[in-house]
Amino acid sequence: MRQFLALLRMSLEGEGARLGSVLTIVVGVTCTVAVLISMLAMGTGAHRQAVGDVQDDEFVVQAKGSQIMQSEISREEMVALRDLPGIARDKDGEPQVDGLVLVPFEGHRRGTGRRVFFPLLGSSNSQFELRPPARLTEGRLFRPGLHELIATNACVRQFEGFELGAKREVRGAAWTVVGHYDQGQSLQCIVLSDAETLMSLFGRNGYNRISVRLDRPSDFGTFNRALEANPALKLEAKPAREQVESDMKQFNGLLNFVSYFIGSIMAVGATLGAVNSLYSIVDSRRRELATLRAIGFGSAAIVAATLVESVLLALPGALLGAALAWLLFHGMAIAPFGFTFRLDVTPRLAEIGITWALVMGFIGGLLPALRAARVPVTTALRAT
Amino acid sequence: MKYLPLIWSGIWRKPGRTVLIFLQVAVAFVLFGVLQGLKTGIEHAVAEARADLLLVHGRETFFAPIPLGLLGQIRAVPGVKVVVPVGLFGAWYQKPEQGAIIVAVSTEGDWTDAFTFNIAPQYLAAFNKNRTAALVTEYAAQKYHWKIGDHIPMISKTPQKDGSTTWAFDIVGTFTDSDVAVGRYKILMHFAYFDEGRAAGTGSVDHFNVAVTDPRLAVPVADAIDRRFANSSHETKTESLRELAQAQVQQIGDLDFLIRAVVSAVLAALLFATATMMMQSVRERTPELAVLKTIGFTDRAVFFLVLVEAVVVCVAAGACGLALATVVFPFAGRFVYGLAMPKVTVAIGLALAAAVALVSAALPAARAARLRVVTALAER
Repeated sequence: MRQFLALLRMSLEGEGARLGSVLTIVVGVTCTVAVLISMLAMGTGAHRQAVGDVQDDEFVVQAKGSQIMQSEISREEMVALRDLPGIARDKDGEPQVDGLVLVPFEGHRRGTGRRVFFPLLGSSNSQFELRPPARLTEGRLFRPGLHELIATNACVRQFEGFELGAKREVRGAAWTVVGHYDQGQSLQCIVLSDAETLMSLFGRNGYNRISVRLDRPSDFGTFNRALEANPALKLEAKPAREQVESDMKQFNGLLNFVSYFIGSIMAVGATLGAVNSLYSIVDSRRRELATLRAIGFGSAAIVAATLVESVLLALPGALLGAALAWLLFHGMAIAPFGFTFRLDVTPRLAEIGITWALVMGFIGGLLPALRAARVPVTTALRAT
Repeated sequence: MKYLPLIWSGIWRKPGRTVLIFLQVAVAFVLFGVLQGLKTGIEHAVAEARADLLLVHGRETFFAPIPLGLLGQIRAVPGVKVVVPVGLFGAWYQKPEQGAIIVAVSTEGDWTDAFTFNIAPQYLAAFNKNRTAALVTEYAAQKYHWKIGDHIPMISKTPQKDGSTTWAFDIVGTFTDSDVAVGRYKILMHFAYFDEGRAAGTGSVDHFNVAVTDPRLAVPVADAIDRRFANSSHETKTESLRELAQAQVQQIGDLDFLIRAVVSAVLAALLFATATMMMQSVRERTPELAVLKTIGFTDRAVFFLVLVEAVVVCVAAGACGLALATVVFPFAGRFVYGLAMPKVTVAIGLALAAAVALVSAALPAARAARLRVVTALAER
């Protein structure tokens, strides 16, 4: 152990003389970690935004085994659902249930005029959608039966034609924007209107999804049993958070696949660079190492010291990379595939980045460490 | 030529180091090839999308149906060759995961001129004959195990007059679509069957496909169509397939920025690694280079010797990396249907590899050239 510490100290004190090789390792690891973390930050940011505003007492109901766009829940089912036990009631004694209809819609980005598709949401209970933390900031609610809609403030910032009083065409009819609202921390543009009006306009007979608020999250068991016991209801309920996560799965999966794909290739490159640099560090210290062996230092100590040196050289790169990713990209808003969200560089991501760096340092140090331990004493000492 | 063995032995002076540098450069260019290839490939796909096929849809949004009655007026616009009413709806086969887009087309005259479909004549004839006939993309046929003669029920959200949401078709053939922007699961059906069968929306279309008599007329014809319906109750917007493809690419968003950032990071790290290695290599070889100079090599010759050595290694490694990128490209390109590795990307990649070599070797090479024989040999 003492041998190991002495060796390590010697190597580290000598790094100044081998600046080029050391920098190669640091720069390689920095770039890899920075890219990996910033790319993963997209997935984290999207996920955080999606679940950020979801509350624990919120549950969603959909037709059994179908995705949101295909799910259809009839009006009869909706009526039966309202009487299930466990559902919270508002101050008028009405059950807190909201039937949602999704129809395709589009907007044009401010400045670029780029067209982005997103759903137009029809809600049967606007009070439900606007309960805190969401709140109306301007104008008023849409009135049932009229061609009126309200949009989040994010829509106004990102897209053209969502100002108060603006007209939007939906299925040949002109719809007026009558209000703006905020929906928690989300940057996503959401446009809300009356479910019944949309359903009749689009010839729909049912809702895509029903949102339900229960008295307590623990009432879900009671609610779900009653739902499943009713043979007329071919529906399944889930906590809203779980549903949002499963909705996001494909998008997040794609982001994470791309992140790790690029991250791995860069890591292989950085590791190769580290191997090369460490080899040259070891080579430049051949005589030194041979002398140490000659005076009785063990191979194990030399291997360990070289490995730890390699890992320690990777570490500043990892920290620098994480810091760079945070400085450059944390909080940056991006908008791929019609989603809009902020990149989120979390401690968890920094942890992943640092772990990767340590693994790169360890793997990169293995072969050079073995070579260092096998330096033939006599020839190395004799060489000039 | 006589320098060749010298360069060769220089490269293999330290085989371990050369192999590592080679691998590092190759890996960097695999990434470059895949990312840059994706970007350029998409740009090519957009550029190749037909600019002479027009789509007429509602002015405000792509999703608003417009009356079938506009057909006659569009047909009357000078320069219009064929107009085909199109109805679109989504449906699935057996389970919701097995989706397809159903394209209802009116099969009059040379209707295929207004599409990018490639249909064999016998299939086309069979399709035109039968009202419930359907053509399916080869891809869909393969995935869902459909054969010609199959009777397939497709479940949709578009109800028929009898309330059923299931539409049945007889498959009479397959087709391919050269337009890469749209999905691979497509079913062609007769517009008449669709329009008369559906419970709501009869007499409306999702869009009209328009072919023009002369490709150069595409823009004026598009403007003329939109002008004709301006200030009417059904204002239209006419866009070419290329414009639509552009819009679709824009959906992907900040792809350019992302790819540029990653590629720069990769190249920066690579440049650093190669530069240090070349520096190290020249330093180690100081005595050898001094000997070369002693026996009469000029400064220039030594300079180029070091430079060429770096270029050979980097370009060879870059070529290997790009070759590998071409092999794996179809997997990375699966997000965008029908993409191939563009040759431009390979060429740019090779040029970049050479540039990396030149930049990283310039300083060490200059140092080698300036070497003073006496001091260099004295260090020995």
